[in-house]
Amino acid sequence: MNWILALPELVLALSGLAILGIGVLPKRNTHFACAMAAVGAFLLAAALAIGAPEGSAFGGQIVSDAFTRFAKVLILIGAAAGVVLSLDYNAREGLDRFEYPVLLVFATLGMLVMVSANDLMSLYIGLELLSLSLYVVAAFNRDDERSAEAGLKYFVLGALASGLLLYGSSLTYGFTGTTNFDRIADALSDPSKASSGLVVGMVFVIVGLAFKVSAVPFHMWTPDVYEGAPTPVTAFFAAAPKVAAIGLFARVLGGPFGDLAGQWQQVIVLISLLSMVLGAFAAIGQSNIKRLMAYSSIGHVGYALVGLAAASEAGMRGLLVYMAIYLLMNLGAFAVLVAMRRQGRAVERVEDLAGLARTDLSMAVWMAIFMFSMAGIPPLAGFFGKMFVFKAAIDAGLWTLAIVGVLSSVVSAFYYLRIVKVMFFDEPAGALDPRPASVSFVMAASGVFTTLFFLYPAPLVAAAQAAVAALLG
Amino acid sequence: MTQPLLADYFPILVFLGIAGGIAIAMVGGAYLAARQKPYAEKLSTYECGFAPFEDTRHRFDVRFYLVAILFIIFDLEVAFLFPWAIALGDIGWLGFGSMMGFLFVLTVGFVYEWRKGALDWE
Amino acid sequence: MFVGAVFFPLLGASIAGFFGRWIGDRAAQLATVICMVLAAACGLTAFWQVALGHSSQTIEILTFVDVGGLEVSWALRYDTLSAVMVGMVTLISTLIHIYSVGYMSHDPSRPRFFAYLSLFTFMMLMLVTADNLVQLFFGWEGVGLASYLLIGFWYEKESACAAAMKAFIVNRVGDLFFMLGLALTFWTFGSVEFSTIFGSIDQHMDATFAGFRAYEVIGVLLFLGACGKSAQLGLHTWLPDAMEGPTPVSALIHAATMVTAGVFLVARMSPVFEYAPTALAVVTVVGASTALFAATIGCVQNDIKRIIAYSTCSQLGYMFFAAGVGAYQGAIFHLFTHAFFKALLFLGAGSVIHAMSDEQDIRKMGGIWKKIPVTYAVMWIGSLALAGVPYFAGYYSKDFVLEAAFAAHSGVGTYAFWCGIAAAFLTAFYSWRLIILTFHGTPRADHHTMEHVHESPAVMLVPLLVLAAGAVLTGAVFAPDFIGHHWEEFWRGAIVNAPHNEIMHHVHEVPEWVPLLPTVVGLSGIALAYILYMLAPSIPGKLASTFGGVYRFLLNKWYFDELYDAIFVRPTRALARVLWQTGDATIIDGVPNGAAALAADVARGAVRLQTGRVASYAFTMIAGLAVFVTMLAFGAAR
Repeated sequence: MNWILALPELVLALSGLAILGIGVLPKRNTHFACAMAAVGAFLLAAALAIGAPEGSAFGGQIVSDAFTRFAKVLILIGAAAGVVLSLDYNAREGLDRFEYPVLLVFATLGMLVMVSANDLMSLYIGLELLSLSLYVVAAFNRDDERSAEAGLKYFVLGALASGLLLYGSSLTYGFTGTTNFDRIADALSDPSKASSGLVVGMVFVIVGLAFKVSAVPFHMWTPDVYEGAPTPVTAFFAAAPKVAAIGLFARVLGGPFGDLAGQWQQVIVLISLLSMVLGAFAAIGQSNIKRLMAYSSIGHVGYALVGLAAASEAGMRGLLVYMAIYLLMNLGAFAVLVAMRRQGRAVERVEDLAGLARTDLSMAVWMAIFMFSMAGIPPLAGFFGKMFVFKAAIDAGLWTLAIVGVLSSVVSAFYYLRIVKVMFFDEPAGALDPRPASVSFVMAASGVFTTLFFLYPAPLVAAAQAAVAALLG
Repeated sequence: MTQPLLADYFPILVFLGIAGGIAIAMVGGAYLAARQKPYAEKLSTYECGFAPFEDTRHRFDVRFYLVAILFIIFDLEVAFLFPWAIALGDIGWLGFGSMMGFLFVLTVGFVYEWRKGALDWE
Repeated sequence: MFVGAVFFPLLGASIAGFFGRWIGDRAAQLATVICMVLAAACGLTAFWQVALGHSSQTIEILTFVDVGGLEVSWALRYDTLSAVMVGMVTLISTLIHIYSVGYMSHDPSRPRFFAYLSLFTFMMLMLVTADNLVQLFFGWEGVGLASYLLIGFWYEKESACAAAMKAFIVNRVGDLFFMLGLALTFWTFGSVEFSTIFGSIDQHMDATFAGFRAYEVIGVLLFLGACGKSAQLGLHTWLPDAMEGPTPVSALIHAATMVTAGVFLVARMSPVFEYAPTALAVVTVVGASTALFAATIGCVQNDIKRIIAYSTCSQLGYMFFAAGVGAYQGAIFHLFTHAFFKALLFLGAGSVIHAMSDEQDIRKMGGIWKKIPVTYAVMWIGSLALAGVPYFAGYYSKDFVLEAAFAAHSGVGTYAFWCGIAAAFLTAFYSWRLIILTFHGTPRADHHTMEHVHESPAVMLVPLLVLAAGAVLTGAVFAPDFIGHHWEEFWRGAIVNAPHNEIMHHVHEVPEWVPLLPTVVGLSGIALAYILYMLAPSIPGKLASTFGGVYRFLLNKWYFDELYDAIFVRPTRALARVLWQTGDATIIDGVPNGAAALAADVARGAVRLQTGRVASYAFTMIAGLAVFVTMLAFGAAR
């Protein structure tokens, strides 16, 4: 029994319980203290994750290797930033209840279990822990109709997706006789075992995961939930869980189903294609910036899945690098969204950014950097993410995917640049409220990374390379 | 091959028979011996204090559900404890520790609901 | 310390550039100058330790790119070649920073000037200490950028903006070839690291590219890149125009350092060039032609800075043909001494311009030598060194270069030798034409200007004196090490001469008249200038009118600008107009406009899918699932 391997998860679980217990006892509001404790727990867990030894534990249920290290650190960064972004917003919106950081801690715990899962059972437990926490935070502003609607929609569709995933898992179990990833891989190394029933089971699993990453056609919940949920919640949704689910995708398809690459590749190619195209086109007509970012995130998932579709080592590496870059630049963009308040009220229309360059130049410049990066304009980080995955796709002979990817990047550049144009060239719509230091910090940190990534990309690429090596064994 | 397996389940069949007999005896006894004064309200289906057939868009008191949910959690806990108690000798200290961990988690949840006043009706 | 030499200028540039507005002009100047002094201290120590103390080393800083087979790191390569350059660049840059404090004292945006100057120095150091071609290219582009910024420093002047753009665009032509050469190097050697390339020279000897030997192609491409930066014949047109920048900039960038980057590149890549005889022949011919061509133009120009600019162009030609005949050591030595006396000449010219209230035309000067004696003296020293009068710095290096050309005993070598001799004569001639017209004769400036002629402040004179000392001494002091008997232990493989290349030995075996000839023609050039402009000032005018065609041909710089205008600029404009009107306005605009309208329609359709009803969402999911399962079921059957 190797407890050490699960130390980050254990730390998060215990901190979650401790924050819950201690947070509820005092009579006064403990939101801030709890949020700080949650950030502390994330940082501690990240430190432990970096130093975690390799191996598998709990009877092969969970595993710790370079891949989990990579994914965990990203997830914990995303989660910590999610808490930091919520601090001021929640206080102003009357959402400063200590349950919020607690729920994020549990959601993060679920994500960590997901990425370290080495068994369909632990995968499902992690996924459900994440989902249940997310359902609640989506509806966290329960007095707001849209927030409640978002939570409910997410819950109903999420339950459906969970059901599909479980059904796929049971089919897999039925045809291979095991739920352990290593033994599934062993079973599938004999091509005669790859029966069509097993392939159907795999498709169900893929669908369950595709729902979590909001890939087309399992994306329908995304715009509604992103728009309805409070902005910091949306920021959290768009960051860490995406990384966790994509990581899980890579783990499940690269590990146990690695020998079925010929089959799942077709599905992933189609999903990726649809996501890129829909993400590019549907966002054009949006006036609500949160909804726009929802479609943008659908598109980005499409680009990331291009790397997965390549089903090669370079593709997987591109996928991981893409997600790391996506996570960090997305946090910055959402920091701007969180900071969009006028006269004490949150505003979320694209027009509300009008003339931002004249009222708050630094924020406008950061936002422009994030938008340019998302559009994939060199030398910003987003360009490199796209370059890695497209190159992998071309090397794998997936020309269609790469060409459609580039074309949809061009289309999506339209709405990213529209935001820049609104900020810099439209008549000011009045100054936004002063933004809190916590939000500025996330914005600047993310902006500096996005801008300067090209100077020193080697560590990230090397870490992704190590992660992929561990993943493909 | 199948014979011993079925033989193992024979006690269950006996239990089923006895349970069915007792149930029939009680319902039948009541039917025969008790006084009966039926009226509309009494004959209608019972469902948590609600009228079974009415508009779905209807205000209701969430407290019923709260209590039900809380009950289910601790009910399942108890259901989980029985097989654990039986198998405790086999699963050893690890099993014991796992259950203590489980109970600890539930206790934290209990403290939370208590402090939040979920257990107070008013 | 090695790192310090490179990064102190960056520190200074950052301070002056980012905080100049807050800390004020004086503090910004002080910061950059102090940083440069520290860098010079480090740089000279590095020169001392590495070049004279024989301890080469490479300092890894960071990994830059590591993708696939391409691995590039930031590293500082300190061998004799780069140590020479680092010592020279930091020293001269420091002197020019100090000089600029005085020269730019009336300029309103001094922090910007000093930030650019320090940034340039950093980029130049990056270039010379590069450990691989990509880093070298980074520095190469960086100095190009800094050069652009500094030429256009007075951006309110339209001519300055035009000159900056011209410099940048012409350089870009060269850079294209550089990039092609870089790519071909990577293709051939599988690496861009110098150590790897030089280590595997033997293995790729027979590699071919498009039917030619790869080494030849690489050599020619890299040389064409060097032509752009070093203003060689064909791509030289930007250099005279670049004189629109402030004079210290001309001294630093367009005389001492940046323009010599091409020579440095050829010397750095000497292991490859050694096995590319055709490429070397091209280098020799172009270099020799430039030397003569630029000198002829220099004889008739009237702008004091342009004369010196053409002189620079001509001297760069010397360096190239020295490298072309295999005497890279001689090329670098000439580069080294040239840096001192050419910076001296430019700064001296700056001092004259300063004294003459920003007048640059030598026809409007004259008779001022008594009023600015120090400037006068240092201009003499600089010109003596430039003309190669014995025992001044230029004498040693220029003689060696010419002897090497002679000793090559090849057709191109002989061509280079005679071009060089002719250019030496013209060099001496135009140098003294400049001195006599500027300082002697009757004053031709208006009365008002003459009254204000004054010697420059000490902060400008001290750098002049230091450089003058350099122009006198560097030749005699360093000749034994660079090209004399100790050359092998001095360079220690930083420059490679192939076994078949014994030019460094042959140089000392030339006939006796060869070393004498440059001195003789130099002195006769001086004499001719003295006769024409001092004793009989009417003759030049008559000559110009008698040989009007030749005069106008030279005055208009061989009509290169007009030629390029006719060949490249106007057809490009015409093509651009065609592309704009038919290609862009109808096709390029038409297609995207149509595509944009289509995209908007698609967007409306995509949005309509989003009904907001959970049931339809769930239906979409199940439908998607069904499609995938069907797809794979059929796929499995196939």
